[in-house]
Amino acid sequence: MTDPASLLPLAVLLPLGAAAALLMLSHWLPPRSADLAATIVSLLLALFCGWLAWRGLNQPLIHWFAGWTPASAGRPDVRLGISFVADAPSAAVSALYALLFAASFVFSWGYFDKVHAHFQVLMLLFLAAMIGFCMTRDLFNLFVWFELMSIAAFALTAYPLRESSLEGALNFIVTNTIASFSMLMGIGILYARTGTLDFALMAQALAGHGGALAAGGFCLLAFALLTKAAIVPFHFWLSDAHAVAPSPVSVIFSGAMVSAGCFGLFKIVIGIFPLDRAVIAFVHDGLPWFGIVTAILGGLTAWAQRHLKRLLAFSTIAHLGIVLVGVATLTPEGEAGMLLYIGGHGLIKGALFMIAGILLARFNSCDEIALYGRGRALWPAGLAMGVGALLLANAPVGLLYRAGDVIDNALGWRAESIAAVLSSALTGGALLRAAARIFLGCSGAPGPERSAPTEREREKSDRPLWLMLLPCCLLLVLALLPANLLEPFLRRAARNLLTASNMHPAVMNGAPPDALTPSAFLTPGLAVALALLSILRLRPVGRFARFAARLETLPFRVLHILHSGLVTDYVMWMALGLSAIAMVFYLR
Amino acid sequence: MSVLPWCVAAWLFAVGIYGVVTSRHYVHLVGCLSVCQSATYVLLLAVGFHWNAGPPIFYDHPPGTPAVDPVVQALVLTDIVIGATVTALLLAIVVQVQKLSGSVDPQRLRPLRPNA
Repeated sequence: MTDPASLLPLAVLLPLGAAAALLMLSHWLPPRSADLAATIVSLLLALFCGWLAWRGLNQPLIHWFAGWTPASAGRPDVRLGISFVADAPSAAVSALYALLFAASFVFSWGYFDKVHAHFQVLMLLFLAAMIGFCMTRDLFNLFVWFELMSIAAFALTAYPLRESSLEGALNFIVTNTIASFSMLMGIGILYARTGTLDFALMAQALAGHGGALAAGGFCLLAFALLTKAAIVPFHFWLSDAHAVAPSPVSVIFSGAMVSAGCFGLFKIVIGIFPLDRAVIAFVHDGLPWFGIVTAILGGLTAWAQRHLKRLLAFSTIAHLGIVLVGVATLTPEGEAGMLLYIGGHGLIKGALFMIAGILLARFNSCDEIALYGRGRALWPAGLAMGVGALLLANAPVGLLYRAGDVIDNALGWRAESIAAVLSSALTGGALLRAAARIFLGCSGAPGPERSAPTEREREKSDRPLWLMLLPCCLLLVLALLPANLLEPFLRRAARNLLTASNMHPAVMNGAPPDALTPSAFLTPGLAVALALLSILRLRPVGRFARFAARLETLPFRVLHILHSGLVTDYVMWMALGLSAIAMVFYLR
Repeated sequence: MSVLPWCVAAWLFAVGIYGVVTSRHYVHLVGCLSVCQSATYVLLLAVGFHWNAGPPIFYDHPPGTPAVDPVVQALVLTDIVIGATVTALLLAIVVQVQKLSGSVDPQRLRPLRPNA
C-alpha cells in the first residue's frame, strides 16, 4: 500500500491533466464528450477531496513536492520545499468546490457547442487553481494559484464576447489585478521580515510581536483577499462581473470563487499570523465591522435590483459579510460555522444562479419587471427559486440557518445579529419578490428597483429544461440536509486546525442548542413581509404618496450612483479602503 | 540596505493607481497597471539585495560566497510571466471592446446601464 500522502498532488494534477488532454484532443473528440469528461473529473475530485477531509481529520496528510522535505535541507530553520497539506477544512472546502463545478458542468451541458472545449478547459484550470489555493502551505505558491484562479475567471467572464460582458470583465480584471499586485508586495514584505515562505516557519518568526513590517504585509495580503471576497469597499467589481458572466460561470463565481477569498484569509491568519498579537487583535475586533457593513450594504443594494443576476450578486456580497464575521471569530465553533456557511451559501447561490440561467435561456432576459408573469409555464423552476429564496432568508432548516446561528453565537455581538437578520431578510425578500413577479404574475408598482441597471441578453436556448433543473434541485436538496450531519465533523476539524497552529482561541460561548424557537421564524417572516409589501404596493398617486415614494427611493438612488460601473471609481474606493485598513492598524 | 528602493516602490504604486483612476483611455490604463506592477519588481529585488554580493550562481565560485537572494528573483520572474499574461488578456479585451462599442474610454463604458 502506497503512502496516501503521495496521492495528494492528484487533487491538482487530475484537473490540470484533464484540461491539457481536452485541449489537445478537442478537435477530434465527438461533441459532448468534453462535457462528460469534465463532469466525471470534477465528481472524482469531489470524492477524492471528501476522502482527504475524512482521512485528514486528526492527522492532516502532508506532501512535499519532489521530496524536498524539511529534513532534506539539513537545518531546522530552513525549508526549501513546497508542501500541500490536506487538513480537513481545506479538503472539505475543495470537495464542495469540485461538487459545484460538477453541477455547473451538468447545467452547461451543450451550452458551449461551437468552441472546441475551451470552456471546459478554462473551468478545469479554475478548479485546479481553487484546490491548489486551498491546500498549499507556501505563501508564494498560494499567490500562483490565486493568479491562476483570477486569470481563468477573467477569461471566463469575457467569454460571451458581448459588449456588456467585455466591459464587466475589464472592471473585474483591473480591480483584481491591482489586488494581486498588492498581494505580491505583501509577500515580499513578509519575506523580508521572516526570510521564508513556508507557513509554519513564518508563524514561528512572527510569534509574539510581528512589528510594523508584519502588519504592513498583512494589510496588503488582507486587501488582496478581501477584494477577492468582495467585502465593502472592495466589492464593486463583483456585481458587474457576476451579472455579465455566462450563468454556469456565475454559479462558480458566487458559490466558490468569492468564498475562496474569505477562506484564504482564514488560512493566512491561522497559518502565518496565529501568534502575532497585533494582527489577531485586528482580525478579532476590526474585521467583524467590515463584515457587518458589507452585510447591510449588500442587502440594501440587493433589494433595489431588478436584474436577477445582479440581485443575486449583491446578495452574495451580503452573505460574504457574514462569512467574514465567521472568519473573525477565531473560535472552533465560529470557524466551523464559517465553513458550514460557505457550504450552505455556495449550494443555494449556485442553484439560484442556475434559475437565472434557465430564465435567460428561455426568455433572453432575467429582468423581474420585463418578465412579469411569463414564467408561469416554468413553475418547477419557480418552486425551486422560492425554496432557495426562503433558505437564503434563514428559514430554519438546512445548513445555512444553522451556520448563521453558530456564527452569531460565537461572536455574540448585537450589531452582527441585527446585520445578519437585516441582510438575510432583504436579500430573501428581494428574491421572493422577483419569484412572485416572474412565476406568479403578481406585480405591484415597482419601487426603488425601477431605476436599477438592467439588460437583455441571450443564452443558448435549446437545452432541455429537466437537464438544467436537475443540478439546481440537487444542490438545493444538499443545502436542505440537516446540519448536524456535518457540524460535529467541521467543529472537530476547526478545533484541530486551531490547536495545531498553537493559537489560543478566544474564550468561546460554545455552540447554541439546536432547538427551534419562535425567533427562528423572524428573518424568513420579515422576508415574506417585505416581498408581500412590494407586490401589493400601489402606484403613488396623491401628492403625499409621491413625496414618500421619492423619499424612499433616495437612499437607493445614492447606492445606484455609487455602483456606477466605472472602473476608475472602483479603484479609487479600493485605495481608500486600503488606507482605512492601514489607519486602523496605525491607530491601535 | 537603503530606504530608497522602498520609497521608489511606494511611489511607483501610488503613481500607477493615480494613473488608473484618472485614465481616459484603456490602453493608457493598462500601461498604468504595468507601472503598478513594476513597483512589485522594485520591492522584491530590494528585499533580496545585499551589498558586495554577486549573482546567485556558484558555477565558478565556491559555495558560501555572498550572493543576492535567488528566491525573490524567482518570484520576480514568475511575476513577469503573470503580468504579461494579464496585460495580453486585457489588451485583447480592449480590442474587442473597441470593435463592439467604438470607445475605449473607461469613463464611458459601463457593463449595465441604469434604466433611466
